[in-house]
Amino acid sequence: MPQSISGGTATHAAVFAPLVGAGRAEAVEKRLTDAITLGVLHDGEKLPSETALARQFGVAVVTAREALEALRNRGLVTTRRGRDGGSFVTSGGIRTAVVLDERLQAHSRAELRDLGVHYTAIAGMAAEIAADRSSPDDVDGLATIAASLDVTSEAAARRGVARFHLELAALSQSARLVREEIRLQAEFGPLLWLCLREQDYRDAHRAAQLAIVDAIGDVQPAVARQLITDGIQSAVDWLIGAKAELESKEQTP
Amino acid sequence: MIAPTLPHVDDIAAVFGDVFAPIADWNVALTAALGSPTARTRRHIDAVVEGLVRPELAREGSLVVGAGFVAAPDFLADAPWHLAWWLGQGNSFGSDPGSSAGSSAGGRRASGRHAVRRLEAVEDPASDSFRDHTTLEWWRVPERTGHRHITGPYVDYLCTDDYTLTITDPVFVDGTLVGVVGADVYVTDAERVLLPALRRLGGDASLINASGRIVVSTDPRLATGALLRDPAVTDAVRDVAHGASVVLPDGRRVTAVGDTSLAVITSSTADSAR
Repeated sequence: MPQSISGGTATHAAVFAPLVGAGRAEAVEKRLTDAITLGVLHDGEKLPSETALARQFGVAVVTAREALEALRNRGLVTTRRGRDGGSFVTSGGIRTAVVLDERLQAHSRAELRDLGVHYTAIAGMAAEIAADRSSPDDVDGLATIAASLDVTSEAAARRGVARFHLELAALSQSARLVREEIRLQAEFGPLLWLCLREQDYRDAHRAAQLAIVDAIGDVQPAVARQLITDGIQSAVDWLIGAKAELESKEQTP
Repeated sequence: MIAPTLPHVDDIAAVFGDVFAPIADWNVALTAALGSPTARTRRHIDAVVEGLVRPELAREGSLVVGAGFVAAPDFLADAPWHLAWWLGQGNSFGSDPGSSAGSSAGGRRASGRHAVRRLEAVEDPASDSFRDHTTLEWWRVPERTGHRHITGPYVDYLCTDDYTLTITDPVFVDGTLVGVVGADVYVTDAERVLLPALRRLGGDASLINASGRIVVSTDPRLATGALLRDPAVTDAVRDVAHGASVVLPDGRRVTAVGDTSLAVITSSTADSAR
């Protein structure tokens, strides 16, 4: 049973995708911090219960509890008791720009370029196969998603871009590409699409999505792939430009 | 040209029949259970649905990896949107942290059975990423036709995390659609049981859906999930009567698989092999 209902969709699937590796509590905390600072989880939204979070992330309940505790201490979450209780996002007063600048500074240029290469391998291939395998109904569905892309805010644009990329991966009919897309979105999505802070980039993404829908409708795999590649390339270029700016500020206090 | 049906296509229809049968039973039980307006609460529905689907999800040898009932918007008194869906023992969705590392579907199943459990579904339409499920194929088609429908194969990234076929059957109370009842089947499992039946047809034989997408094929060059962009084939799949067969001008034969909306396409050599 597909794609809807579960508090909906692509971006949420990525947020709650299972975690792999050590430092699980920190990883849960980081994943949720990203989602909150970026507005994927929005102010007042109720988080799943500790038990449900633990199951979704594939961690112990005590680990999920630890992560929620850390988020509470940072003021990103409040917990209410009682019948309508639970943990709720409180993103009203946080300085998202600072959190994300720290993320950007933590990666070298080489790492950022490599991230772009990895993501291009996945998303570009997905677009190429999707162009070959999409039925007219599939193209209509993708066109609806592209048409609903809201570029009036960074948070909305991020949700729209994540949603579009996940749907594109699904149209490749490859479960592995979809899982890898979800994993990469969860791990690097927040960082990779920082360029969506700027209206010009949001507008460019909208134009690109419409062009990709056309390429897929016209069964033009190479064109679809190139459009995806160009979008990722420009996102990585933006990141490295932003990083250079931060570095030059630090050197001239 | 109308032609007599092929032997062994019934074997393929029987595979789907084994999945359709419990869904039809659940439909009858739900129609009866939901007749009374006082029964239309989330709690009551969940209890009824769980009682119905759990035995099939726990049954050794069942192809069903997920099953349940999705209510029509505003049908339930206390939940405008509700999904009463359970995941089966073979369904690793959300419970295996290693799954995204890329182990195969078969490998993940081999790694262990999972308890029958409820699908965690947040049903808050205020969430701005909420999407109206009534626009999706597994809802839209049974709603429009009033009949059972097979969606897919498709990658179901929220429910099974895998390449899936979803069968949905509309539930009517007093002529009004109150929801759909259905089941998920992994394509990998379907392939395992369908391939031997396809091989018995001889030559190259492919099971395709109404869009012309390959479900399983004996032709090594035809990938599951690939789309046959051939209007002659898709027209034939749409037009061929239940259980009947048509021969295309190039000699290939398209045979409806019972009333599943799927069809088998066989090469002309399959006929000479008979």
